[in-house]
Amino acid sequence: MLQERNIWELAEAYINNELSGDDKAALERRRSTDHSFAAEFQDCIDMLQALKGNAAQKKVRSILKDAHNELETPKAAPKQISNRRHMWRTAAVAASIALITSLTTYWVVQVNNKKIESKYSLLRRDLEKYKRSQNKIIRDIKEQTGSPYSDARYTATGFAITNNGFLATNYHVVEGADSVYIQTQDGEYHKVNVIGGDKTTDLVVLKVEDDNFKFSKYDVPYALARNKKMLGTTVFTLGFPQDEIVYNEGYISAVNGYQGDSTQYRLEIPAGPGQSGAPVVDASGNVIGLITGKQSQSEGITYAVCSEALLSLADSLKGEHKISLPRVNRMGRLSRVRQIERLEQFTCAIKVYKK
Amino acid sequence: MQGTLHTEQDLLKRLAAGDSRAIKSIYTSHYRMISGWIVKHGGGEQDAADICQESVVVLYEKSKSKDFQLTSKISTYLFSVAKNLWYKELQNRRTEILTNEPIEMESSYEDDLKVHREREIHYQQLDDAMEELGSPCNELLKAYYYKQKSMHELVDKFGYTNTDTAKTQKYKCLARLKKLFFERALK
Repeated sequence: MLQERNIWELAEAYINNELSGDDKAALERRRSTDHSFAAEFQDCIDMLQALKGNAAQKKVRSILKDAHNELETPKAAPKQISNRRHMWRTAAVAASIALITSLTTYWVVQVNNKKIESKYSLLRRDLEKYKRSQNKIIRDIKEQTGSPYSDARYTATGFAITNNGFLATNYHVVEGADSVYIQTQDGEYHKVNVIGGDKTTDLVVLKVEDDNFKFSKYDVPYALARNKKMLGTTVFTLGFPQDEIVYNEGYISAVNGYQGDSTQYRLEIPAGPGQSGAPVVDASGNVIGLITGKQSQSEGITYAVCSEALLSLADSLKGEHKISLPRVNRMGRLSRVRQIERLEQFTCAIKVYKK
Repeated sequence: MQGTLHTEQDLLKRLAAGDSRAIKSIYTSHYRMISGWIVKHGGGEQDAADICQESVVVLYEKSKSKDFQLTSKISTYLFSVAKNLWYKELQNRRTEILTNEPIEMESSYEDDLKVHREREIHYQQLDDAMEELGSPCNELLKAYYYKQKSMHELVDKFGYTNTDTAKTQKYKCLARLKKLFFERALK
């Protein structure tokens, strides 16, 4: 009877005190005579007890976190916005279809970006047109629901540069914003503040307002590449062109970006509105840049700001905002899906609100 | 006095059982005192919260041990543990402690902290091993051991034909986890 049972089943029943008197006696006899069995059995017990102890401690830790959050005054989350997310998305999608036909290049930000860099100034008119068409759709939604639509304007993507709440995205994403929130993997909203930015390279560093915030219980698993990668390097990206995170892959198609900009790469990778700020990662898990804009006439030509520009921006931050950047890449030996799984915890949607 | 001791014993029993009201009550009634001290000694709000939560975890693990008895009041214990944890943290950060207050590391609690540190390393190794396991073992074991899902729920969630298949799969996963975990522990 005893022999037939799986050793794990036995060990589990043993630590849960579920063995009958006879079984227990038989087990103890075997443990005292069969030493290799006894050793293996002990290992199983140790393993199971570690699992259970760890599980129980995790629960206690999460209760403590709750207790701490309850101590602090509850922060107003933009709940009403999330309720209407679906309609918002429909509006954005409809409007962006109108846009794609009329533009040559545009920021990969989801919606009506008013201010455009001068080098893209030719496009401004088209964007204004796009904006009008979209505002019309938004007005329609307003009339249908009978309540004021939220003042949310864009969604984009960001990624952590430290686990305790520093993150990077594009300058144009937050430019002129009244408030910026991120939505993390668990669906939670967190308010973020702008720490520093550089309009020329189109980069901005944000920090989650809540000092207790952590993206994950693990450290940031990727490093920011310190040198420009070579032509033809295969890359992938994670971003939020929709509510759900989306994966895409491609390669570096030119080492310089839009109009020969050396702070950018030109990539051959699909990118859509909402993917501005999405991390671009090479096969070993180094972040080599972040998506900033795309050319839409030819499908797949995307521009990304390179990571060195982000490194120099982060290095220029002083005082309490001094950041120690992730230098160790711990994703090198992981399979692609595991890399994505890790990266996902540190990639978030960015929601920008304007009056 | 008798009354206080009684409630403290009771509170500790519930803490050991993982009772969430007991845990929250211990945390909230000591947070101000501990965080005030940490902030006065060079820490930020985040440090204060981390240290305070860690101290309660130390007490929780201690309360679960077989021959557990607390000779001091809960507040005395938590405060000493928190101080020790914070001094250790400051040492790690190589920050000078700008205070005249003498550093009093209480030896008995020092032992508790040593046990605690070892346990944390152990659990970290387990977490790493779990990560390395990959799909579907990682999810399966997490669902069963961390989220306390029943075998029937696992059958539904992972699409096994019946609970026996799910069990067999779970044992296979455990065997793989054991190998990865023990490799790490030996390093």
